[in-house]
Parts: sequence; C-alpha cells; structure tokens
Amino acid sequence: MSEAAKRTWSDNSEGAHSLPAASQNIDSHLELTQSQQQLLKKVKRPNGDDEPLVFEQELVEMTQRAEGVHEEQQLWSRPQLPENYLENDVTFQQLDAEEAIHGDTTVARFFGITEEGYSVLCTVTGFLHYFYVPVPRGFTSAQLGAFKSSMKANWYGIHDITIELKESIWGFSNNVKVPFFKVVVANAKDITKIRGAFERGEVSFENYFSPGQNPSYDNINYLLRMMIDCNITGMSWMSLPKGKFTLVDPAMKLSTCQIECVIDYRDILSHPSEGEWLKMAPLRILSFDIECAGRKGVFPEAKEDPVIQIANVILRQGDQRPFVRNVFTVNTCAPIIGSEILSYQEERDMLMGWRDFVVKSDPDVIIGYNTANFDLPYLLDRAKALGLPKFAFFGRMFNIKQEAKDSVFSSRAYGTRENKVVNIEGRMQLDLLQFIQREYKLRSYTLNSVSAHFLGEQKEDVQHSIITDLQNGTAETRRRLAVYCLKDAYLPLRLLEKLMCLVNYTEMARVTGVPFSYLLARGQQIKVISQLFRKCLQENIVVPNMKSEGGNEEYEGATVIEPNRGYYDVPIATLDFSSLYPSIMMAHNLCYTTLLNKASIQAFNLSEDEYTFTPNGDYFVKESKRKGILPTILDELLTARKKAKADLKKETDPFKRDVLNGRQLALKISANSVYGFTGATVGKLPCLAISSSVTAFGREMIEKTKNVVQEKYSKANGFPHDAEVIYGDTDSVMVKFGFEDLETCMKYGEEAADYVSTKFIRPIKLEFEKVYFPYLLINKKRYAGLYWTRPDKFDKMDTKGIETVRRDNCRLVQNVITKVLEFILEERNVEKAERFVKQTIADLLQNRVDLSQLVITKAYSKHEYDGKQAHVELAKRMKQRDPGSAPSLGDRVAYVIINSSSTKNYEKSEDPLYVLENSLPIDVNYYLENQLSKPLMRIFEPILGDKKAKELLSGAHTRTVKMSAPKSGGLMRFAKKAELCKNCRTPLKPNNHGAVCENCISKAPELYGNALAQMSYLEHKFSRLWTECQRCQGSLHQEVLCSNKDCPIFYMRKKAQKDVNQQAQEIKKWDDTEW
Amino acid sequence: MLEGKFDEASLLKKIVESIKDCVKLCNFNCTEHGITVQAVDDSRVLLVSLLVGLSAFSEYRCDRDITLGIDLDSFSKIIKCGNNEDYLTLLAEDSPDNVMTIFEDKKKERVSEYSLKLMDIDSEFLRIDDMEYESVINMPSTEFSKIVRDLKNLSESLNITVTKDLVKFSAEGESGTGSVVLKPYTDMERPEESVSVNLENAVDLTFGLKYLNDIIRATALSSTITIKLADKTPALFEYKLDAGGYLRFYLAPKFDEDD
Repeated sequence: MSEAAKRTWSDNSEGAHSLPAASQNIDSHLELTQSQQQLLKKVKRPNGDDEPLVFEQELVEMTQRAEGVHEEQQLWSRPQLPENYLENDVTFQQLDAEEAIHGDTTVARFFGITEEGYSVLCTVTGFLHYFYVPVPRGFTSAQLGAFKSSMKANWYGIHDITIELKESIWGFSNNVKVPFFKVVVANAKDITKIRGAFERGEVSFENYFSPGQNPSYDNINYLLRMMIDCNITGMSWMSLPKGKFTLVDPAMKLSTCQIECVIDYRDILSHPSEGEWLKMAPLRILSFDIECAGRKGVFPEAKEDPVIQIANVILRQGDQRPFVRNVFTVNTCAPIIGSEILSYQEERDMLMGWRDFVVKSDPDVIIGYNTANFDLPYLLDRAKALGLPKFAFFGRMFNIKQEAKDSVFSSRAYGTRENKVVNIEGRMQLDLLQFIQREYKLRSYTLNSVSAHFLGEQKEDVQHSIITDLQNGTAETRRRLAVYCLKDAYLPLRLLEKLMCLVNYTEMARVTGVPFSYLLARGQQIKVISQLFRKCLQENIVVPNMKSEGGNEEYEGATVIEPNRGYYDVPIATLDFSSLYPSIMMAHNLCYTTLLNKASIQAFNLSEDEYTFTPNGDYFVKESKRKGILPTILDELLTARKKAKADLKKETDPFKRDVLNGRQLALKISANSVYGFTGATVGKLPCLAISSSVTAFGREMIEKTKNVVQEKYSKANGFPHDAEVIYGDTDSVMVKFGFEDLETCMKYGEEAADYVSTKFIRPIKLEFEKVYFPYLLINKKRYAGLYWTRPDKFDKMDTKGIETVRRDNCRLVQNVITKVLEFILEERNVEKAERFVKQTIADLLQNRVDLSQLVITKAYSKHEYDGKQAHVELAKRMKQRDPGSAPSLGDRVAYVIINSSSTKNYEKSEDPLYVLENSLPIDVNYYLENQLSKPLMRIFEPILGDKKAKELLSGAHTRTVKMSAPKSGGLMRFAKKAELCKNCRTPLKPNNHGAVCENCISKAPELYGNALAQMSYLEHKFSRLWTECQRCQGSLHQEVLCSNKDCPIFYMRKKAQKDVNQQAQEIKKWDDTEW
Repeated sequence: MLEGKFDEASLLKKIVESIKDCVKLCNFNCTEHGITVQAVDDSRVLLVSLLVGLSAFSEYRCDRDITLGIDLDSFSKIIKCGNNEDYLTLLAEDSPDNVMTIFEDKKKERVSEYSLKLMDIDSEFLRIDDMEYESVINMPSTEFSKIVRDLKNLSESLNITVTKDLVKFSAEGESGTGSVVLKPYTDMERPEESVSVNLENAVDLTFGLKYLNDIIRATALSSTITIKLADKTPALFEYKLDAGGYLRFYLAPKFDEDD
C-alpha cells in the first residue's frame, strides 16, 4: 500500500471515530477502532515488513535457498553409508528407546542418528531386571544357597538372588545399611509376579517370611532401570566401541536402519550431556497434514470419506529450510512452484505412495497438528477400509504393524485426556496440539488461533464441505487446496521452531533422564522418580514400593499477606525468594532420608541441636548427621542451572544459546517439581511431612521478612519514612519505602534483600528483582504495574489475575482493560483512560463493536453439569440444527449473548456465525453489566473513588443507543417498517418524498453528503478486509473461501459486507428527495 | 416547541407504569395530533403501540414533529414525584436535549419542575396495519387480569379458544391444569362489566403468559379490554383511554416448532 494510505490507516484512528457515525465528514478516511487496528497489526507478518503474506512466495524462496536440490526431484533418502564406516567406534544420539524381547530375554532397543545423519538401531543385551526385598530377621548368609534353590524351584523366572547392603529411603536410619535380597529375574515380564509373591507373603522359606503385607523395594520399569544403571539419559549421545558390537546380518535385519547392531550393556559408553555432547544429531523432522473429502454436515469418517491430499514437509535439524516439500494428491493438481506434486488417479495408490515416501525419507520425528488423534488414526482406518494391509508398516521395524490404541492419561497437573496412540517404532512423535495444550493456556487451541498467537499469522480455514467442492473441481481448485494443505503441514514446523519444543524437551529428557517419549505421554512424577533413582543408586539407597492410597489429605498452602489495596504513585520494590521451596528443602535438610519421629529421636539418642523441629511439627535430622538425598539432588540441579545460565551469558552461537536456555529452564522446572512430588498424595512416594513443612517454613519466612523490613526501615530507626509491606504472596513481598524516585528505591531494595537474607539459613536468599511504579493493587493475586529493573526505562507492563489474561471473558474486556492499563500506567493519563472507556461503551451501545470482540469461549468438557450453562446449552441447540458443525466434547464453544425472550443467560447464548447470518440483536447490557463493569470498577475505584468510577458506566455517553428491529418472528410478518426522517427520527408521512421530513429539508445536502461518506468508508473498509483475507489465502484474484471462526478479520469482513448492503439501501432512499 | 398539559398527572403515570416493564427505552413521537409511541420489547415478540390523543390534554401545542428518546426507568421516577391530581405539563424545545416535566398543585401554589436528559435512540419504527380479525372479545380488564394472574401459576402458556358464544382460557402445566370459561353477558347498569363475543370463525391460539403478564399492567388505564384474534396472526390487546387514545399490544401467538 502507498505510504500515504498507511498513514491514514493508523494515525487517524481516534478523532473521527469518536464522532457519531452520522456526522462524519465527507473527507473522513477509513477508520477502524483501535482494537481493530491492533488486531490487524497482530495478524500481519511478525517481521514487520508490509509485503503481503504469500505462502507460495515462501515456498519459492525455500527452493532457491536449498542449493542443488531441484524442485521436481527432492532427494528423499539418507546419505549412503561409507564402506569403512563401521570399522570405527559408532557414536550416535539415541532418540527413542523401548523394551523388547530378543530370543527369550528382555533387551532394550535404542534408535539413534549419528552426527553424519546415518540411522542406527542398537539392541542392548545382557541387562537383567531386579528388585529388592529386605532380608528377614535371623536369616544368615549361609542359608542363601538353599533359599535360592528353593525359590528357583518354586517360582519360574528367577535368575539369581544375592545379598547387598542397602538403606531404605524412608526415615533416618542413623546411616546404617542393612542386608537386602537382590532378586534378579531372567525376563522382565516375570518380575511383577515374583514381586507380588513377596509382597503378599506368598513366599515361604523356613518360616522366615511372614504372611501378609511385606514391602518390596525399587519398583521401576525395565527400560528406566537399565538406563539408570548404565547412566544413560534420554536424548543423550552414546558410543559403541569398535570390536565390541556385532552387526546384524543384512538378511536378518529387523529394521530399515542403516546400522543395526547388538551390544552388551557393559560395553556401552554413555556420554554425559555436557560440553560437546550438548549437540544435536541432524534429525529429520516430518510434518504432515491430510485432507479428507467429507460429506456435508458430517465430520469425516474413515469408513466413508476418502483422503484426497497429504502434504509433507521435512526439515533437517540445524537447517534453515525444509529439504522436502511435497503434496500427494488424488487426481491432477496444477504445479506449485517450490513443491513437488505427486498425483495419483486412485486414493489407494496415493496412500501406498505416501507410505513408501515415509519409509524412504525415514523421518526421526513425526510432527503435525492433532496428528495423534486425527491424521494418523484416520490414515490407518482408511487404509483398512480400502483393504491395504501393507499400508500400516511405516515404522522403522519391518514386522511391527502400526495401530491406533486408545489411552487415557490422567494427571493432576494436566487433567484427564483421552488420546489415541499410534505406535511408530523408531520414530518419535510430537503432536504440537498436545504439546501446546500441555504447556500453554490459551483461549482456543485450533491451529488458526495458535499460529495467530505464536506466529502472529492468521491462516485460511476452509470448511469441510468446501474441501469436497474444491476436490471435485479442476486441477486449479485442487491446487488451491494443496497450497492450503501444505500450509497446514508447514505451520506445525514453524511452531516447533518458535516454541523450541524439540530443544526444550530434549534438555528436559537429558536433565531428568527419561526417554523423550515419556515427556508427552507421562506425567510429572516419572521425571522426579528417574532422578531420585539415579541418586539412590549412587548412595546405595532403595525406594519402597508404596501402594498409592489416593487419600485426599489437603495441607495448608502458601501464605498471602493481606493486600493494602490502592493505587500507588510511588515506586514499590519487590523482593523475591529465589527458588523458595527448593531452597527451604536444602536449608533445613528436608528429605525422606532425614525424616525422624519422636521414637527414632530417642532410639538414636539425638540431641536437640542435631535435628530440626519444623513449624509444622515434624522432625528432620540436620545435615551434620546426614545430608538428605532430595537436598543433594536439588543442590546439583541448582548448581547446574547456575552454570547453564553463566554459559548462556558467554555463548554466542544462537543454536547453543537455545540449548542452554532450554537446559536452564528444564533444571528450574525439575527443581520445582521435587516439592510437588512429595506432596502428591496419589503419587509414588508421598510424604506430607516434607511438603507441609516446606509450606509452613515458607509462611513463616514471609511473615518474618515483613517484620524485619518494617522494623529496620522505620522512622524509629532513623529512616526518613516508615517502610510498609503492602502485599506479599508465596515467595515475594512488595515494599513501599516511601521514596519518590526509582534509584533510591532500587538501592534500598538491594540493601533490604541482602539484609533479610542474612536472617535466614543458606541457601535461602531474598533477591531484589524489580520495582513496580506505578502500581495498582486491586486484590489478592490481582495487580498491575510497570515493571522496572533499571532506573532509565521500564521493561514491560506486568499484570496478574486481571481480565487481560482470563479466557472466559470476551476479547472486548481484554482489549479495554489492556488499553486502560496502558493509559493509566504507561502514559499516566487517567483522563484518557476514562475517555477511552466511555467511547468503548458508547460504541457498544450503538452496536459498533465488532462481533469478534464479543465472542466468549468456554471448554465443553463434560456432558453432565449441575446447572445449565450457556455454552453447554448452545452446543445442544447447535447439534439440533446441524450435527456436523456443532461443537463436540472437548472443543471450546464460542458464543455471544443475544437479546431473546428469555432472561436466562443459558438460553440467550448463540453461535456467532448464526448471529451474523440472521442479524440477531446483541444483548449489549449483558456485556456492559456482566463483562465490562466489574473489571473496570476494580481498576477505577482505587483511582477515582467509588462515585466517579460509577459515572463511567452511566454518563452522557450511554445516552445514544441503537436498537435494531427483528427480521424474523411471528410479529414481523405483519409489521411494516415505517421510514423515519434521517435527521429528527419522526416517522415520515406517506406522501413524503426522499429521506428527510419537510422540517429538515434544509439539512438534506449535509445529511446526504454524510451518507455518501459513510458509504465510501464502508466500501473502503470492506475492500481492505477482503484483500486482507485474499492475502492470507495467498492469492489476490480468487474469491475468499475462509470461514475461520477464530479470526477477528472474518467477523469484521462479514459485518462489513452486511453494513455495505444496508448502507446501499439507505442511500437509495434519497433517490426521490425533492431538493 | 412542545407543550402538553394533562389535567391529572395520574394518566401519564399509569401509562408509563404500563409499559416500562417490557420496554425500557423508547421514542415518544410528538405531532400535532398527539403523542405516539411504537416500541418492541427486548425479545422482539411484543409490540407496544400508544396513542395519547389531543382530547387527553387540557392544553396542547406542537409546532413541528419532534421525537423524545426516553429512558422509562428514569422517567417513571420523575413522574412519581407528582401527586395524582396535579396538573402535569410536558415541555420540550424543537431540537431538544431534555424534556421538562412540571407539576402544579391545584390548591396550593406549589410548582415543581423536573428535567430529564433525552437519549438518542436509533430504532426502527414499526407499523401494523389494521387487519381483519376472526373474533373480537370485549370484557372487563380486571377479569382478564385475574385470569392471567391465576393461570400464570400453572403454566408458561395460555390457550384461548373462541367458539360460538363461548371463550375458554386454559393452561396446562406440570402440576395441573386450569381453565376459565366466559359466556357473553350484558350488564345494563354497569356496561363495563359486560362480556361480548363477535365471532366470524372459531379460533384456537396459544400465547406466552410472560407477555400477557406484561400486558395486564395496563389494567388501570381502562375498565375494559378488547381482544382481537385471528389464526396465525398477532393478537391485538387494546385498552382504550377514556380521555382519548389507546394503548395497544400486539402479541404473536406461539406456533408449533416446525412452523
């Protein structure tokens, strides 16, 4: 667009729009409200260039950059293995590990990639699974031989039993180790049975074992046990020394890997993930997306609806651009520059073609959006329906068929999710949808809104029914679909890069030691367990196999200092305890291994200075007697984090920086999850004595900090002001020192933090982190302020618990609150904020707010709710109208509240699209009273006071309203709309010509001019929005098909279209005017 | 310039009370023939049509047509400030920002003035043309009001069937059923107590009681009510103003789901 046009687009926003629509001048330019403009900006290219987003252009660029690769012949397969490669050590990064049966023993299989990009399957043999049982009292080592024979005779699968000196993790045992049987089994599948026999007291040997409940120790799966014992962590590098491994005879190979070998577990060289070994192998990441030709109104079903296109993009880790971009299509497709088109006449041939492609290109990681629950199972089901038995083999193992299984994953942190799991041996899977649902809280999880949120890009959303039409059209329309499909395949890859999923999860796997696949498929606990067992192995400690009780014991959480609510126009220093819970555990040596009770204190004859009595009433032995295992783990994690952060500062290579950053994040998360592990009552090893002591110490510390600060910085102590702690939560306190300037406040902040730190045991440390100035404290966990770490410039605006982030509000609330806070805090212009609020309310009452701003979304999570809820009722009503497009369980339902005969909100909710199509009236009062008023009052009350704040909601700006008449309903079939004078709104007489009454004819030229200006404004707006959508779809000369419900532009475009039509009718009324 | 004087404030008071529950904001259109209001309730099912004719005013002048956008909640608070017997005068400029309400005590020299800020209500003006009705019922307004109030306890909808010489109001609810049957009756001494039925065709219609309940708030305006019914057509409930004019409610009957 031209420079001048751009300026009007952004500069002229406020002035003209604040006039009522009717009085806009002829020369007024296109105006969008500020929020609309922001949205437009948001969906523009993130790199700020104004070139239209044309995905095809990107594809062309990709081809140009990938040197030597001809577009028609993208090279799929891996590089050839050099002949003498296997004469040296083989070093590779292992990606996926699994337990398998080899002959009649259990083995572990590691899939990996060497630095050069060759694929490896390494079978690790010889490792036998085991567990521990305490040796009964009176049993002597002389009896071991007889016991072993007796056990072997009675229980199948026992390989060996030895006695080792170990210590149980539970409770302080005065550092005395006691003998345990180490029961080794030949085959991992027998271990549960034998362990169970010991636990239930079914094992008998000369009356040594009592019947009933006996504990067993070290219950962990084979793969983790083996990895722990061999010191292998997930995603780490390992070497197979030359001569130690045997290659599998090519005729006997089980997999498609270039190198397939067997090695004994004792010969593996595992490299700790440090220094050089932080690197990543050149993994091949395949992202794909399928399109199905559905029937109208029915969600595609694999039995009926064919797969018509599959788009694929493969990126080599470390490269800038994907080296494979192709689309498999049924029927012809016009060429797309930069991508290969593989057309097939028959769907079955295309599916088989795709299978061969996957096998040949041999991806290490398969990603996509909702691939786990939709694309992969659909492909498998479809192939089954078409009778293609060979399709379901695209893993690395020749003989293992890919199948979709249902799995239910339940975790306190992530809730219950039902998923489908497809086994693809040797290839890691990372469904971006699952990743994002796990790691981010968003309003909506569709690919559209996720990419709008993270990449700042909207995408075209083509409805299921249109897909079929496009497919049945020409090669050109199929090309259209193919571009769309390619984009859907490419976006997950961009998200993967942007969100650093692979790097961060890799570091998490390395830090916690679990295989990569556990991170998505399992909960938080397994990560702590893996670390715990690793440490225990070093210290000869065994972990009891506790039956999880599922008790719902709650304990007191963190403390909150009662906030002193208000608007603070002076700097407020914030002092934080860094890593509060981990440092409490370290400072007070809280651990399973240090846990005491009154009896054990007596038994071990401990003096008072040898143990800690926690504020919660528990006892723990001090570090001088024994350092706990959890404090040791935490110490290591935090030290490693410090190191990673220090390295990060020095590192200049961007990829290594990402890795180090991922690492320090993983370390931080791991350190914090240890506390949660001890408090998880349905966990593996819950110990409320630890977790409640931690929170109790935390509460005590916050109180103490408050008192210490207020006492030291007081007038009584010669300080110019009385410092006041105005608020504190969990691990931070907010202090008002009373100085007006930032520097002084920061200086005292530092000083106070250091001073208070001296009052606590190391490593507990209070840090001065930031200053809020100004600061608006609304309530507990609700505040906003400008965040300063340097005195010259603020870093950002920080808000907590304010409607800017909550998802059950409409966007209008979010935008208004954000803007208002910006005006108040950044510009310090309360008046401007008031004006803005009034303008927004006026817009709302006059029906000028965009529908997309009013959409509320809520998750439709379970069928049975106690009360009737707006979104649930709407979902039911939509199902009656059209079962195909209605939201189903698990979706987020989007709705707006409309005026209807009912007074109940659950009957007033309606689908935004339906509202647009039928021009139903929005219940503006609902939005004013139930959505806007409370959050606005909360912000303005502390600043303006009660009375003035209320005026915001009922002042002069609320006196112009627009009420649209119904278009349908029993009444409207008989009622006729009477024409009103455009000026004074009196009904026109039947013999009146034109649009104004006789009294107002003098004003006609001005009014007509306004109407024309309004028309051209609307036309202009509509054409801009239309072009915006055309750009998004990547073509400026095709019609827009998109019906993306997450895209604000979509609603704007629809509304603009309607407005233009309406205005055209208005203009027509002027035709007969007698001037 | 608008200047309209009522002999008694109670008339306007009753009118406002009758409609303020179903219509919160509406335009008062003032012309040389009097004041009219056309408004639809929030759910757009009930249409209110009011005419206060010239004869209802003791003095009236309106130089040119003007529209007063009124928030009835606020207006009702003002109207309540006057005594029922007071003179009430409405005053407005030609392009008004507000409307003045003046109360004058008839005995004392007490004059009170209130000004109400007007709203700019951009709404469409709806007309329902006179229609042919299949049956017309005249009955005491209090009788109709009682029927609605009684049957409202049972159900959400009220069925009205008119057959030869008989009107039946019935309601069916989960807890039970109820019905009231009226027959034509002529009271010579008190004609307002009479019930008359003019029938061309039998009708059988169902209405939402929620709306009827809004309608009967106008009972105080007139001792009789006229109900005009026809199949699949909005029913007309009319209260005639003794002083001149009417308050009409048009209510669409409930149709079957598929209709």
